[in-house]
Amino acid sequence: MSFFKRKKKPEFEGGGLVLFHEVQEAMKAEKVLSGGGYKVKLVAPPPELRKGCDLAVEINLVEQPGIERLLVQKDVVYLMVTPLKTDTSEILEIVKVTDFGRWLMVKAGNMKLTFDKESGEIVNTSGGGCPDIPVMHARLIGQNLSEAPRPKDIGFTLCSLMLDKALEKSIILREGVE
Amino acid sequence: MLLIAGTVPYEDFPLVTGKIEEAGNSLRINGYSFSRTQGTGAMIGAALAATGYLKLDEPHAVVAGDTGQGKGSREIYEYLIQNIERLSPEVLTLHYWLPNMALTRELCNAITKCEKRPVMIADAASMYSAKAAGLATEFDIFTPDATEMAFLADPDATHPAYINKHLFDTDTSRTPELVAAAYKKNDAAKLLLVKGAADYIARDGEIIATISEPDIPELEAIGGTGDTVTGLVSAFVYAGMEPHEAAIITSRANRTAGKLAQATPATKVSEIIDHFSTVFAENLCQWSGVCFVEGEDKDD
Repeated sequence: MSFFKRKKKPEFEGGGLVLFHEVQEAMKAEKVLSGGGYKVKLVAPPPELRKGCDLAVEINLVEQPGIERLLVQKDVVYLMVTPLKTDTSEILEIVKVTDFGRWLMVKAGNMKLTFDKESGEIVNTSGGGCPDIPVMHARLIGQNLSEAPRPKDIGFTLCSLMLDKALEKSIILREGVE
Repeated sequence: MLLIAGTVPYEDFPLVTGKIEEAGNSLRINGYSFSRTQGTGAMIGAALAATGYLKLDEPHAVVAGDTGQGKGSREIYEYLIQNIERLSPEVLTLHYWLPNMALTRELCNAITKCEKRPVMIADAASMYSAKAAGLATEFDIFTPDATEMAFLADPDATHPAYINKHLFDTDTSRTPELVAAAYKKNDAAKLLLVKGAADYIARDGEIIATISEPDIPELEAIGGTGDTVTGLVSAFVYAGMEPHEAAIITSRANRTAGKLAQATPATKVSEIIDHFSTVFAENLCQWSGVCFVEGEDKDD
């Protein structure tokens, strides 16, 4: 009887969880994030990830920076954001630096930022693949390191967060050059 | 049809589909213009340079504005899911978008309805979502850089920001090891073009070619030079080359264009793209056996 067959909507597969102390905060977060245009779902966290209450919000992990910013703006108290896969490593904190003579390239995860050692001008960003990265590229190129907007403040994705780590390290390195 | 899908970095840019045209330093599709600096625009610009030189049809594109919040990305996914059977492209290249595992899965299901399965190519976040959803083997070509290769090799990572630091803390000499690990867990496309100091072409877990000349390390710093690789390999596959052959020629062409542009870390990718026609004219015949003179159709 195929005429009763409904088209099955795909399940939400977010890959990340926001954990909370209080059930009320989880419910408030779900409302705030849905209202902000994010696709999220209230779920019970798996026992190995349970740190506070037994309600969590599943999110698309890639959207972690934008989601955390919105929760802070709306005064939602949360414990942490964690990948749903329990064997996933912590977010990368290490950076690598390549010296091109006049320029330094700083790499954090999949993102690279290159600046002029003498002037401090950002001359290029590369890497990544999230939709806010070309926006960051346009906003950062030509800016001085000390005056550039921070990707963690204006971006929405993990790619922006990694670019921010590259910028942060670049600022420290530049201060060492001066 | 070579169909390319990806986001463009504008807030109020609607979903637009159609043939791509060059418009000075921009690209145009159905009256809507967007930049060819970085991202989807750089990829399409490179593909257009190759299809133009080879006298092939221009690429078709599906683009939508998205500045990171995912609206345009969802529009692209939904358009492709609903229309891919009708469009039935020969080559489908997926690029910048907000990775969404469930919609990627739905798209892969929709593609099975195409009369002939397209050659599937993914870079950037569409590669992230394919790997994270366990769908990497549905794809024919991935074009990761060294960090993204570590991401493919880490079975638990759903984004390169969360890769194991021991995999990140490596130089490209460990790429063959990472390639083998990714294939072992079915987290790689059939063919990988790994971009780095040396470019590695891998198929079924084995490195089949390594290209390190000309050596232009500055390319890594230039935003969009990975995107041009994806655009070129898409066009060469559309031209009828075998994927591994297309990958090898792409690597050579991108590096040679960087050399001709006298690339520095401050070079813009549009300066690289502008040298592709010279690179093709001087080398493509020798590299590929695709030889014809200006004004002659490739089929002549």
